[in-house]
Amino acid sequence: MQELLTVKRMHRLLYVYNGFVIFILMAFMCLTQDRINLAMTARAFLEQAGAIPTPSPVIFCTTIAAFAVFVLISHFYRAEKKTHVRYVLFAAEIVVCMLLMRILNLSYDGVVLLVVADLMYRYEGHHREYILLAAMICLYFMANYNLAITRTKIISFEAYASYYSVDAKAVILAIKNTFDSINVVFFVFYLIMLVKSKHEENERIRLLNERLEEANQRLRAYAIEVEQMAETRERNRLAREIHDTLGHALTGIAAGLDACLMTLEVAPDITKRQLNKIRDAAIKGITDVRRSVKKLRPDDLERLPFQEALKEMTRNYSESSGMEITFDIFSWSEHLRQDQEDVIYRVLQESITNAKRHGHATRVKITIGGNENYLLIVIADNGRGCDDVKAGFGLKHMRERLELLHGTIHYWSDEGFIVEAMIPLNREVDNDKDFDSR
Amino acid sequence: MRKKFFVGICAACLIVLVAAYQMSRPVTLTIGIFAGNNWDVPQGEPYAIIDEVIKNFEAENPGVHVRYVSGIKKEDYSEWLAEQFVAGDEPDVFFLPADDFNLYAAADALMNLDDLIARDENFSADVYYPAAFNFGRRENTSYALPCESTLTFMFVNKTLLAKEGIALPKNDWTWRDLLDICRKVTRDTDGDGVPDQFGCYDYSWQQAAVANGVKLFRDDGRTSYFADERMEETVKFLMELRAVNGGHEVSPKDFDVGHVAFRPFTFAEYRTYKPYPWRIKKYSSFEWDCIKMPAGFSGGHFSVMNTLLVGMSSRTRHRDLAWALLKKICYDRATQQLILEKSQALPVRRDVILSAEAREIFSWDSSSAVTPADISDAMDEAGMPFKFKSYNAAMLYADAELNQIIEGVVPLTNALNKLQTEVNARLQY
Repeated sequence: MQELLTVKRMHRLLYVYNGFVIFILMAFMCLTQDRINLAMTARAFLEQAGAIPTPSPVIFCTTIAAFAVFVLISHFYRAEKKTHVRYVLFAAEIVVCMLLMRILNLSYDGVVLLVVADLMYRYEGHHREYILLAAMICLYFMANYNLAITRTKIISFEAYASYYSVDAKAVILAIKNTFDSINVVFFVFYLIMLVKSKHEENERIRLLNERLEEANQRLRAYAIEVEQMAETRERNRLAREIHDTLGHALTGIAAGLDACLMTLEVAPDITKRQLNKIRDAAIKGITDVRRSVKKLRPDDLERLPFQEALKEMTRNYSESSGMEITFDIFSWSEHLRQDQEDVIYRVLQESITNAKRHGHATRVKITIGGNENYLLIVIADNGRGCDDVKAGFGLKHMRERLELLHGTIHYWSDEGFIVEAMIPLNREVDNDKDFDSR
Repeated sequence: MRKKFFVGICAACLIVLVAAYQMSRPVTLTIGIFAGNNWDVPQGEPYAIIDEVIKNFEAENPGVHVRYVSGIKKEDYSEWLAEQFVAGDEPDVFFLPADDFNLYAAADALMNLDDLIARDENFSADVYYPAAFNFGRRENTSYALPCESTLTFMFVNKTLLAKEGIALPKNDWTWRDLLDICRKVTRDTDGDGVPDQFGCYDYSWQQAAVANGVKLFRDDGRTSYFADERMEETVKFLMELRAVNGGHEVSPKDFDVGHVAFRPFTFAEYRTYKPYPWRIKKYSSFEWDCIKMPAGFSGGHFSVMNTLLVGMSSRTRHRDLAWALLKKICYDRATQQLILEKSQALPVRRDVILSAEAREIFSWDSSSAVTPADISDAMDEAGMPFKFKSYNAAMLYADAELNQIIEGVVPLTNALNKLQTEVNARLQY
């Protein structure tokens, strides 16, 4: 930012300096013309000049107006966003530049450098080198062969300087050359500033990118850490739960059974009552375990009806991953058990995760159908697929879950990857089995 | 939409008003003119002709005013004109001294007249004598029109010739005749042993060279032809003519008191001193007349015709009016007639020179030797002066060298070749 500011300041300096030089040259010409008339050496001047000069007032007004227009066009050129408007402005700038040089009898070509400075300022690299080169050559010819283009007679600066004495002429020409040289120095300095500024801008972008990458890496590490922490927390919670529920119940049961062993012979009635109590405690323990297990279920399954929960899950995933997921439900059993629901939920979740992660798919189509005996789920994606499928943890896990429900799973690659899961529905599974399936 | 329409109507009205104002504003044309005449002879009313021209022009073009700055002397005019150009206030139409023609034509300060001439059906360059019209041309382009011209004639002291029993030479006389007459009249009349009556005074080598058909320079002024054999012939003739005086230098006083038979004379001087009252004031002690200049042995132009040019500024804002004014000054028959009557110079239109009025004006006395037809012939035969930039400097050098050759200080052998080399070197600057 600092560099850009310096470039702008340098640019302003370049313009102010050129305005100053142009004004001085113009004033010199006007004053010399007037002095020539006062000194009655007009005839000799014309002889030397070989052309008729423009009257002083015309030179004065035209120069100032042309320079003002030049500055305005330059300003708009530097600020303009649209490319074609910029080309028009640039052409206009060249025309005004030529006019300005013509008024000053081609005695000062510093304005050409101003045009080049503007051109360089808006130069954006890429394939524009040719345009830049062509424009530069054009400007060079303009500066050198303006005379040929305008086909009008030009009075050389020397003719004006020759009006003064030999010593004064030498000084005047030296001053003029100094003006030219300083302008070139300013121009080169400006270009250096410009290049430096552009270079530093690139450097800044590169640094920003590096920092972004670094932050990303940290974020990834953090995510892994958080995952591990959650896992640990969950493990602790499970341990606590087991300790509080199963541990409590089993300890109670063990103690009760010890007492029963003592009283079995002596007081069978009391033992019977005690055993009843122990059974109650065991049932309570089971209930507690169920409650704990329930806490591990996905939130959506608890909160919403099953179909809604599925749609919510896929919609969330689709929104976060950008993958298009469509549902085609032909038939649906209304009486799905909770463990069946859980398995279906997990199979779908795992399949679309695989479609995204391994297949890089953009579309996933889920078809659910079947009859009163079984439920068929087909998950097809448009991803890369896989010729030689190695069952990873996910697929293995799915198979295990389905087998607990006596279901089957098949998968293969076609135009993408296809997973087909079948769950029998008419098989009653008791509560214990249900519990075991966890 | 209505607002835009309203603004458009207002803008149109404004443009129409400005245009109307510009149209109704009287146009002012300016003329650059110097007092007196171009030919260094006295003149009574310096602005008589131009005033008349302006009066006629303004009558023909209502709403047009023509003005000029009076009182600019001829010697100051060139500087004045240059200053006007530098200040951007140059006149639309201006008289152009011959020395300035090339300067302004080369600087594109003069309007290129070719287009105007080609478009103007009422204009024909054929009415002019070629030497007059072509004087206003540079590199085959017309930049100025001739206004008036003057030629050199030979002044003849009729009284002296009559005393010596010599007949007035005919208009087709040659150097041979001149030499013969000079030899006859050059003698000692008062018996002091020194010749006091002479044949010819002030016949310059330049006039002799023209009469012998020598072209001294190439038109662009980059090379000279002093080594031409006609030039050698000319130099030999001048040496012979000089030898007639026996080494005695003829002075202007000898001429004024009537002791010289011939002297070249411009037509302007002829016009000035021939009629009353100047006739009394100068050369009152003898009868005189003018005849054409003698032809050289090889024959050439009769004389160099000097022409006063009028040009128009290339920056004029009233191109067509300026052209009309230029034509009024240089082309209009009435104006040319006026020049014939009031100026000492010759009009440049052939029909005016050959008109009945001219016959009347040129017959000052019954014995006048030159007729309008002779003048017209002379103008047709005349050559143009050179007007390139270094002409004067080159001629100044050549003049000094040639005078030394003619006076015998420098031997003629190879001298002209040397002179040509020297002059050519000078022309390269």
